[in-house]
Amino acid sequence: MSQRPKDRVRISPGFFLLTAWFGAVNGWRLLAVVLGAAALHELGHCLALSCLGAGIGGLRIGMSGAVLEVEGRLSYGGELLATLAGPAANLAWAVVLTALDSQRWTMAVGAHLTLAVFNLLPIVPLDGGRALYLLMAWAAGPGAAERVVRWSSGVTAVALAAGLVFLMKETGGSLWLLPAAVGLLISAGKRIFL
Amino acid sequence: MTSQGRRAGGIAAERRRGKRSGARQAPRRKSEPLRPKERRQLLQLVACGTLFVALVAVKLLLPDQMEALGGKLSAAMRRNMDVQAVFSAVGRAFAGESGAMEEVYQAVFHPNEAGEVLETAAAVDPQLLEESAALDTLRACRPAAGETETAEPKATDPEPQPEQTASSLAYVLYSDQNLPENVSLEQALLDFDYCTPVSGTLTSGFGYREHPVEGEERFHYGVDLAANTGTAISCFADGTVTAVGESSSYGKYCIVTHAGGYASLYAHCSRVTAASGAAVTEGEKIAEVGETGMATGPHLHFELHQNGTYLNPIYYVTTA
Repeated sequence: MSQRPKDRVRISPGFFLLTAWFGAVNGWRLLAVVLGAAALHELGHCLALSCLGAGIGGLRIGMSGAVLEVEGRLSYGGELLATLAGPAANLAWAVVLTALDSQRWTMAVGAHLTLAVFNLLPIVPLDGGRALYLLMAWAAGPGAAERVVRWSSGVTAVALAAGLVFLMKETGGSLWLLPAAVGLLISAGKRIFL
Repeated sequence: MTSQGRRAGGIAAERRRGKRSGARQAPRRKSEPLRPKERRQLLQLVACGTLFVALVAVKLLLPDQMEALGGKLSAAMRRNMDVQAVFSAVGRAFAGESGAMEEVYQAVFHPNEAGEVLETAAAVDPQLLEESAALDTLRACRPAAGETETAEPKATDPEPQPEQTASSLAYVLYSDQNLPENVSLEQALLDFDYCTPVSGTLTSGFGYREHPVEGEERFHYGVDLAANTGTAISCFADGTVTAVGESSSYGKYCIVTHAGGYASLYAHCSRVTAASGAAVTEGEKIAEVGETGMATGPHLHFELHQNGTYLNPIYYVTTA
């Protein structure tokens, strides 16, 4: 808490590059929608953490996403709640926006849903992987949880990457999904082999 | 290049630091083995250098192959998914709209196919050559130039005024083989009443044209009717609104399905007023003219489909 805000929020230059590129390619409106959905996702985590009485040590934003650093210790159940609060916030926004007007905000609803589903993949740096770890650690201990998460991360990342490459080859479309698949493979690989 | 420079700089800095701390350490002699960090940096430098030299060598030695590869790569990059359309379709699928999930797949893996930005001239190159041959025969057949001369430069893009000559030209030039898939030039007889959605000036017809934004020769799957932003768009005929969406090329658009497998599409709208699933009647206001998506001015991009085949809408609209 005594730290200056400059140290608590760190944003990598890669993030600015990626943001600028995305904005240039897809338009600033879409960029705002995506960043807004991401911000509400993190806000979901923050809200749950503050409800649980834990402090937020810092926020690191990089090319692959944002990471919240938690101050103090949480129980498995508490951390599970805080982890799932991000995707849950996105889902809630999607439901609310659809309920308000099913035609008007389809793009924002889509962004929220995509973010929620992607984050719930059982791959380690993502919320889904973390939630699976916490759930298994709570039920069967950290050792077993680590093994389960390694397997789920590896298998999901390989299956997703293989599926994407197959579809890309079949349809000749969306070369840009490749970096995403590679990124997932690398982060899952890091957890498995290092 | 920059990465090499940075790496080299990194090594230089490392050396300098080494020298400065020389008071504590004995200065190393040249024959002394490198420290692991230095060795790694040196290896990186060598790898980058080799890669650079190899790429330059390949480019110089095999220029044709490299150009072909470059073309293939940039074509693949251009088929990038339409993120906006993906999100919009996901949102609509969530709202319970049927068929939206297929649109998600379409938007991710066949991004441009639903849009007007598709079929480039490069893909139909050999046929375009035949086209000029067809033009020659046409010239030979009609020695009395007169009207045909004016129509000729527009031959690849049947525009409004030379309607008579251009349509006969079109039949010669667009033999089945040099048309993109799913395009028919025949005038289908509609067994229902219909009206012109917007009375505006025809600014771009159905057929090959130079794309106003991307600049290359592409097939234009509809007609562009210029009108002021906010002008009401009337529904072409009785039917049901089957899609209301948004994409980077079409902007805000809606699709209305009519009897007999026909469907009409209205793109670049500033606002779609009809709701998805609503029953609409001929002449009913469904949207307003705008310039959303890939457009250079306010206009309606109007398409007519029959069971997935693109028809030339010019037969069914009257232009101002």
